[in-house]
Amino acid sequence: MTDIVVPADLWDTDDEGVLFLWVYTDGAIVEQGRLIAELTVEKAQLELNAPASGRLRILVQPETIIKKGQVLGKIEPV
Amino acid sequence: MAGPVTDQGRSLTMARAGREAVMAEMRKNPNIFVIGEDIAKLGGVFGTTVGMADEFGAKRIIDTPISETGFIGIATGAAMAGMRPIVEIAFVDFIGVCFNAIFNFAAKTHYMSGGQFKMPLTMMIGYGGGYNDAAQHSQCLIATLAHVPGIRIATPADSYDAKGLMHTCLRDDNLTIWMVHKRIWGLGWLGTALKTAIATVPEEEYSIPFGQARIWKEGKDVTLVGYGITVHASLQAAEKLAAEGISAEVLDLRTIVPLDREAIFKSVSKTGRLVVADEDYMNCGVTAEVLAVVAERGPQVLKAPAVRVAYPDVPVPFSRPMEDFCLPDADKIVAAAKRTLGK
Amino acid sequence: MKPTPQQRIWMYEKMLTSRKLDEQVFEAYWEGKKPVFNMGKGPLPGEMHQSFGQEPTAVGVCAHLGADDAVGAGHRPHHVAIARGVNLKRMAAELFGKKTGLSGGRGGHMHIYDASVNFFCSGIIAEGMGPGAGIALARKMQGKPGIAVSYNGDGAANQGAFHEVMNMASLWKLPFIAVIEDNGYAVSVTPKDSTAVPSWKRASGAYDCYGEFVAGNDPDRIFEAAARCVERARKGEGPSILEIQTERLHGHFIGDVAGYRSKDEVAAQVDPIPAYRKRLLDEKVITEADMTALEARVKAEVDDAMKFGRESDYPAPNEALEKVYA
Repeated sequence: MTDIVVPADLWDTDDEGVLFLWVYTDGAIVEQGRLIAELTVEKAQLELNAPASGRLRILVQPETIIKKGQVLGKIEPV
Repeated sequence: MAGPVTDQGRSLTMARAGREAVMAEMRKNPNIFVIGEDIAKLGGVFGTTVGMADEFGAKRIIDTPISETGFIGIATGAAMAGMRPIVEIAFVDFIGVCFNAIFNFAAKTHYMSGGQFKMPLTMMIGYGGGYNDAAQHSQCLIATLAHVPGIRIATPADSYDAKGLMHTCLRDDNLTIWMVHKRIWGLGWLGTALKTAIATVPEEEYSIPFGQARIWKEGKDVTLVGYGITVHASLQAAEKLAAEGISAEVLDLRTIVPLDREAIFKSVSKTGRLVVADEDYMNCGVTAEVLAVVAERGPQVLKAPAVRVAYPDVPVPFSRPMEDFCLPDADKIVAAAKRTLGK
Repeated sequence: MKPTPQQRIWMYEKMLTSRKLDEQVFEAYWEGKKPVFNMGKGPLPGEMHQSFGQEPTAVGVCAHLGADDAVGAGHRPHHVAIARGVNLKRMAAELFGKKTGLSGGRGGHMHIYDASVNFFCSGIIAEGMGPGAGIALARKMQGKPGIAVSYNGDGAANQGAFHEVMNMASLWKLPFIAVIEDNGYAVSVTPKDSTAVPSWKRASGAYDCYGEFVAGNDPDRIFEAAARCVERARKGEGPSILEIQTERLHGHFIGDVAGYRSKDEVAAQVDPIPAYRKRLLDEKVITEADMTALEARVKAEVDDAMKFGRESDYPAPNEALEKVYA
């Protein structure tokens, strides 16, 4: 099981962001390195890629305010 | 990356879907290049070209000085000489400083030369308001562009159409303008994602023809015509109407030029009632053209006068209550639909 | 680099061809427009901006250009089109609005296009700058030889497009030449009254590119200056602004009585074509006999072209709806 964590180096400041959308639905198979979510921080739209291959489990819904280091979901081995 | 990597579809924003089409075409066709302000290092103020400079380099993703007349003119020359440029104008309001290059040169060169010179030029333009950007940064001006012969205009309402229509633009040898309402691009800082604008987008390439409207929802009591963001307001209106037992059909024009006049008339012939919603100014607008279709082909199909829900003929106000007053929305469309039903 | 005898004879022949065409066009233009001047009447309707006196600017530059190059002209294009080698019969037919015209009658006098010699026009002042520089950009991107030249008037140098395009052409070192035909008038306004800094003087300070002014309306001097600009472009050294002093012997358009010019000023103008003719004969570049033969050839070619234009059919009216899109 791999956590999908908001990377500490994804943006420069300590500002909070918003989870904008998930590219795949809960339960979808995803491939490591591919885009799985978009986050908005101020005027930037940032990309989150899958840290591992497997089945996506969504824990945080879109439009939720998020912080660096927060766990947004998990990837289960198939 | 061959083959799908998931057992379910990908939800992409319109910006990303459009980019996917551009990049796929650029990988195949070395004559395509993108030119505009802040598109290389920044990736476009609305994210139209994010990541492209890294893949294609500075010779194909070209940042320009603030010289719209100059670089659109340059793009038309490059198109005449066998290249296939994509020009980005972030805000449609800026066409004022370069309208000559668009409407007098790009739109007319094929005709004036008797077909000797083609104009394979695509423009990517953002339009629309509703986020307090005021009179000079919130306009649609679709009718202004549609009015000039020689231009083709695509106004996708979701990411599936965004990708398909961009592929069509980049395979057309004429001036094509791919226009997306800023509030449905899929940028968090312009508002939350409109779920209906974010579609499942296939990995493979596909092309949506111009002049083919799309019925998002079938209905029998009233036709709601929209394009771009007003498709979504119409869908919301249809839901509210359904709760009151009124069955609304939602028709997305998809391309303004060429316009799918058959689809408009077919739908209105079926329902007998027409509401057309547009964020562009009312006077001489796209809404008027839609009404003209019915008036010319068979006004007798109308059971009640048609109703237009368009921006009032005023510059876009800044202050929120005033701007909200002007914007077409689901409630205004619902009220218009009920008017056609005598309610 | 001076022109060879062959090049000088070529320049004279092309200037004369342009002049003879303009003379016959002038005659034909007035048909149907007297006693009442109605621009829409007669076999040659619309506006007509002729090139009397400006012929040297076209031949001096075009003498250096080949099949890979491209040329754009403005609303006064005849001399440039002819120097570029546009099909004369089809150009005349286009002026008459005939089906056999270069654009099938869709363009007319200010919109002469001949793709076979990479020639185009812009009826809007200075707006041919962008397309010209764009063709230069395309050549560079495609790794193909060839340069582009845009012709503009002295008034055009004040348009925003001129400035924007020169900046980008220099920034990107495009193989491009902006020719400014300084005939002393933008319709009725002189450069003294309209232009703070002449275009060629802005080249180094404003655009960091090459600029040159050629006085005297002399084909040979223009040829030499153009050689410098063309060489720079071909070597990848970037664009040039070539401002050429020339003479507009008639009004801005046919019908313009040019009351804003003094009679003395007009009387003092020198027609460059008889002057060049005399020089070629005096310097024994060409014999009297060969000159006579050349002039007969030109007359026959122009007569032929005008006849073709007059006698060709008009397009069917509903052809107006065709060729909007490729």
